[in-house]
Amino acid sequence: MKINHTISEQDQETDNLSPQLQLLRHEESGCQVPEGYFDTLSPRIIDRIKEKENRALSKSGILVFRKPVVWAPIVAVAIAAVLLIFIIPSKSNQIIPAYDELADINMAYDASYAEEVLLAESYSRDKEIEMAANIIPVTSSINVNSDVTEEEIVEYLKDQDLEIEIITEY
Amino acid sequence: MHEFTDIELIELFRNADKKHYAFNLLVQKYREKIYYFVRRMVIIHDDADDVVQNIFIKVWNNLDSFREDAKFYTWLYRIAVNESLSFLKSKKLHSFLSLSSPEAMLIRALHDDNYFDGTEIQRRLTEAIIKLPKKQQIVFNMRYYDDLSYDQMSEILGTSVGALKASYHFAVKKIELSVFEN
Repeated sequence: MKINHTISEQDQETDNLSPQLQLLRHEESGCQVPEGYFDTLSPRIIDRIKEKENRALSKSGILVFRKPVVWAPIVAVAIAAVLLIFIIPSKSNQIIPAYDELADINMAYDASYAEEVLLAESYSRDKEIEMAANIIPVTSSINVNSDVTEEEIVEYLKDQDLEIEIITEY
Repeated sequence: MHEFTDIELIELFRNADKKHYAFNLLVQKYREKIYYFVRRMVIIHDDADDVVQNIFIKVWNNLDSFREDAKFYTWLYRIAVNESLSFLKSKKLHSFLSLSSPEAMLIRALHDDNYFDGTEIQRRLTEAIIKLPKKQQIVFNMRYYDDLSYDQMSEILGTSVGALKASYHFAVKKIELSVFEN
């Protein structure tokens, strides 16, 4: 440290104020330090600086995540990711295999499937006829099992009080 | 070995590669002056050690923004004064809780301190300094022990030279009375 050494000025001033105190001035003060204290001071300070810097770094990381602005979008994205990965695929898993099953069947060569389809078709046709017979009033003279002529239909409709013009439009 | 000036050391410190090296040299240059200044204020070695470390950590953190139109040692001493006063303030709170005066606590600590081996008159001198008002204590230590001029003290403490002279005179008279006439 570059101090303007004005010791004589300081000495003189103190001497003027208190000669006894001036005599004590250049004696050892009695303050001691542990051995090697000053040699280890600098490394210990550097260690504390590093420690503080590390703590500040980890703290700043935590502080950033304390802000909802930071963590809310991250949480939202995480939830969306979880939904996409686990929930939505599990729903589509229920649908996709059905398509897959159908896709896997080669209908042109599956004789049993063709047979089933034909049986089902004939069954549904019979059912339709049966239902039609039930719908048509018993009083009607039309025989559902025989071929129905145009005259019979007109006759039937006349019985049902429908306008003849409308019928003829067909 | 070339002895760097403060300005050279500050320039070195601002160079990232030389930062540690420059800081070490700054600590080496000022450690004893700062330590003994702080020790006379806080009395106990362990407390002085803590305060001195805090002072140099402040230097590390703020030296990049240090303006070179000011003198480094003035800036360093100002940090030392502030840190010592902050420490004593926290001690004052402890003394309030323990129902004894801060001065009484420091005098007791002086008696218990293993790192004080002064003569009886030196002990009485230290006790007399402890009893001074803080401003007078700082002025007395800077003038009596550290040989600072009133201009330098004025720069550090931001007080007029006249007020500092008056403080020193009052301090010397009180100490003389306490040490030699009691």
